Amino acid sequence: LMSSAGGTLIRQAVKEAKPVFSATSEDARRRVLNLYRAWFRQLPYIIREYDVPLTLPMCRRKLRENFEKYRQVNDIRVIDLLVAKGQMELVETAHMWKQKTHVMDYFKQTVTPKPTDFLGKFFDGKEP
Amino acid sequence: QHAIQRCSQWRCYASASSAGLSQDKITERVMTVIKLFEKISAEKLTIESHFMKELGLDSLDHVELLMAIEDEFGFEIPDQDAEKLNKPSDIIKYLCEKMEVDYK
Repeated sequence: LMSSAGGTLIRQAVKEAKPVFSATSEDARRRVLNLYRAWFRQLPYIIREYDVPLTLPMCRRKLRENFEKYRQVNDIRVIDLLVAKGQMELVETAHMWKQKTHVMDYFKQTVTPKPTDFLGKFFDGKEP
Repeated sequence: QHAIQRCSQWRCYASASSAGLSQDKITERVMTVIKLFEKISAEKLTIESHFMKELGLDSLDHVELLMAIEDEFGFEIPDQDAEKLNKPSDIIKYLCEKMEVDYK
């Protein structure tokens, strides 16, 4: 992202940007994989302790989905912040500071999806 | 004359051979774990098949697979070692080294 041509100034800014946690992308990758491992190991306990109507394959798929959402991110600082947020979620979930509904929030869509086809948009009153 | 009494109790730390581990047993267990992994098709799997290049796993799948192996053998594989285990033969070699089984 920052390696675009004609960005000598940008390149300098990247070299001087203070790292959040990781200095290299290798470091960041390791953090991401460790977060994935930690969540993966915690899933069976989450299901048991929160008594959620979920199966382990469902939870694993959802975990993978949430990680795949950010697959395209390459900026190391952004990755660090995402990992930090994921870690916070994990700690809150593992310590039972959350409740069943917070865990189910990962699965239920609370936002009604915006219509994409023409008729849907028409009924919604939106301009095409 | 004093009879030298032989020690009747031996303190024995379980060695790999006493636990019944051999390279073949390790290979069998590793291949079973890998075959049970649903993202891998059993036909393409050989001992030398590369997880990412030939079997089409991505890095998160690789992590899941290594976790299954950790659960099977009961000890954690650290990150810097985990990065290098890209084929079943690598895993078998690594486990043999860790569990002090002769690797041929």
